[in-house]
Amino acid sequence: MNDFGFYCLTAALLVSLYAFLVSILAGKKVNPILAQSGENAIISSFVLVALASASLISLLIQSDFNNEYVASYTSLDLPRAYKITAFWGGQTGSLLFWTLILTVFSTIVVFQNQTKNRELMAYVCAVLASVELFFLSVLTFVAPPFATLGAQRPADGSGLNPLLQNYWMVIHPPHLYLGFVGFTVPFAFGLAALISNNLNPVWIKTTRRWTLVAWLFLTAGIFMGAHWAYLELGWGGYWAWDPVENASFMPWLFGTAFLHSVMIQEKKGMLKVWNLVLIVMTFEMCMFGTFLTRSGVVSSVHSFAQSNIGSFFVTFIGLSLAISLYFLFRRLQTRQLDPEQRLTAFFSRESSFLFNNLLFLGIAFAIFWGTVFPIVSEAVRGVKVSVSLPFFNNVTLPLAFALLVLTGVCPLIAWRKASVKNFKRNFLYPLIAGILAIPVVMAWGVRGLVPVAFFCACAFVFATVVWEFWKGARARQAAKLENEQPEPFYHAVYMLATTNKRRYGGFIIHVGVVIVFVGIIASSFFRTEQDFVLKPGETGKLKSYTFTYKSFGQRRQENKDIALARVDLFKNGKKLATMRPEKHFHFKGEQPQTEVDILSQFDEDFYIVLVGWDDADAATFKIYINPMVSWIWFGGFVIALGTLFVMVPNRQRRALARTMRQVERHAA
Amino acid sequence: MGKGRFKLIVAAAIVVAGISYLMISGISQTTVYYYKLSELMARPSANTDSVRVSGKVVSGSIKKDSRTMTVDFVMADNNVRIPVRYTGIIPDTFKDDSEVVLEGKLDAERTSFEAHTLLAKCPSKYESQFTSETGREHQKKYGIQSDFRSISR
Repeated sequence: MNDFGFYCLTAALLVSLYAFLVSILAGKKVNPILAQSGENAIISSFVLVALASASLISLLIQSDFNNEYVASYTSLDLPRAYKITAFWGGQTGSLLFWTLILTVFSTIVVFQNQTKNRELMAYVCAVLASVELFFLSVLTFVAPPFATLGAQRPADGSGLNPLLQNYWMVIHPPHLYLGFVGFTVPFAFGLAALISNNLNPVWIKTTRRWTLVAWLFLTAGIFMGAHWAYLELGWGGYWAWDPVENASFMPWLFGTAFLHSVMIQEKKGMLKVWNLVLIVMTFEMCMFGTFLTRSGVVSSVHSFAQSNIGSFFVTFIGLSLAISLYFLFRRLQTRQLDPEQRLTAFFSRESSFLFNNLLFLGIAFAIFWGTVFPIVSEAVRGVKVSVSLPFFNNVTLPLAFALLVLTGVCPLIAWRKASVKNFKRNFLYPLIAGILAIPVVMAWGVRGLVPVAFFCACAFVFATVVWEFWKGARARQAAKLENEQPEPFYHAVYMLATTNKRRYGGFIIHVGVVIVFVGIIASSFFRTEQDFVLKPGETGKLKSYTFTYKSFGQRRQENKDIALARVDLFKNGKKLATMRPEKHFHFKGEQPQTEVDILSQFDEDFYIVLVGWDDADAATFKIYINPMVSWIWFGGFVIALGTLFVMVPNRQRRALARTMRQVERHAA
Repeated sequence: MGKGRFKLIVAAAIVVAGISYLMISGISQTTVYYYKLSELMARPSANTDSVRVSGKVVSGSIKKDSRTMTVDFVMADNNVRIPVRYTGIIPDTFKDDSEVVLEGKLDAERTSFEAHTLLAKCPSKYESQFTSETGREHQKKYGIQSDFRSISR
């Protein structure tokens, strides 16, 4: 099985090399037969990589410790589900997983474009094949998943990191990878448009759904990662600006900027160069993110390895960036990328989108700088430094605030030039709502300029969305009434949203963003934490909660011992729950792992950590009261729903496409 | 160039300048320098208000008070020694001879250290079980960092 996987992978390397070369040739010679051959090679590389992945999974299930990867990341006592998910739990496995997703996506692209975008496809295949080629080279020469231990074969493996043995950790990396890899598709089309000199916005339109899918997975992956950190790392928070967290957030920022600025190109024919730059940067950031996670160049809670794949990644990122920029500069000279219209007014939708982009990129650059500064400092000055949370918080907070306000402004401000009348029509009531929010949140006990300002902005953005739905639905009702077909309000809202899914789905996403912001601000500014040392029977008190340490317990599971404390939790004298914070002692792990217990409520989370215990029965607890954390998860859910809503095909458009196809068939 | 366009460029320049300012001032204000104890003591000019320093726990020097969650011990590195006081949750890996990384403040006379963060790794963690050290190597970091999470504030 091991040899089989190795041969499949080697064959895949050769096939993707063939796909790369033949696709370039097909593009140069405009030869459809060569292009077809390149596409077939892409499909074959998918089959080969899938077979290699299947063999690695079967080795993992069989616990064949002759395989170095299996021995390093699993053990006999590991539950079977985690044996399978160890496929993406370690260094080489996750790179293979990356490659697998890439070949799947490439194959789908090939099938989607059998009869369309033929002028682009040869170079699209060349770009996709080059990325495949890169990953397969890494898997062949630097990080082979089928390396064997031979005589060193251990009786038992070293086991999967206990922190990774968690449901969220099982589903979180695949989401991130689907997002990372997904952005390769629009990148391939963008670069193909540049190389083949087909600079009409077809590359954007045809990859719109790919971009959305990639964005959705990346977004979901980031939320899941935050959720995992909250449950598993036991420090009471969900985001620490860790290099690997930043690694997923930077491509997200670029991708989000791209999603917004393509609208300007589609509607106005502006920002053509900018969009190409953005998609190139999004792709490079995805590669950089994989590099950060996988190279161990920055020590981090989540990064898994220290290895020499770093230089490969740096070379690939540099090379792909240089090639993209080279073609971009060449095409700039032909003036095909010149804007069809000029920006004229400061108060206009065009310029508000420009600022939206500026802010997204500003945040991304600040995070990039903070993440790489320790590396640069050590390399240049020989001084080790760490850039900590305050840097990231201080920089992102004002930018995020401006971005939040723009979330309300961008979609409603008039194109070309906004008049005072337009302002009043769209923003007067939302502005009043934002101002009214001040006394409301103050009455709630919120103090401090920053949180009050953020809550105001949230109220303002939410009000703009409600107001927009209201105005639209009323206008629709009025029009229907004129035609003597009265329509109930809820139906008007439904029809309004479904006839322009892109616009109204966007509003749903923005509402999700507002909910997330409320949760982040509340939980960051108003969290309470305290340590307690309690003996059994003793009671502690924090805010409106009282809690009694009842007893200490122990139990054993197949791969670990568990120590737990039972703590009865009361609020205002009423019993809420029995909390069971635990400490897990994995037989394979080197140190105990904290399992927190959380009572998650609508308004706040009660978060309890069993820190330790001494010989005199006294246990130490750390307790956090985190306001509105559940809003973050709920907001993430709303964002996902909104994105799905945008992606649902339009009924009319689908019907139209069907008729077109029938017409074509008749004509043929 | 129209008036609107001019305003736009000015506004964009202001935004870019603001972002640059935030980045540059942020780095200089919040960067924490990382030294070995001997390096720190050899650099009289180093900023000692917020510094991260590594060394070893001197055997037998640990004095714990679990009620107040305070621990006093002596840290050593290359024949340089300094008494340390730390208040907070003590990680399980903190023992005699552990490697520790402290974050905190060196007092003005440079004779004692007040730590607000303590990370520790056992000496045993440097031995790996077998040759595949990639995963191992990282587990060390991993565990230490997660401890760091649970005790930093």
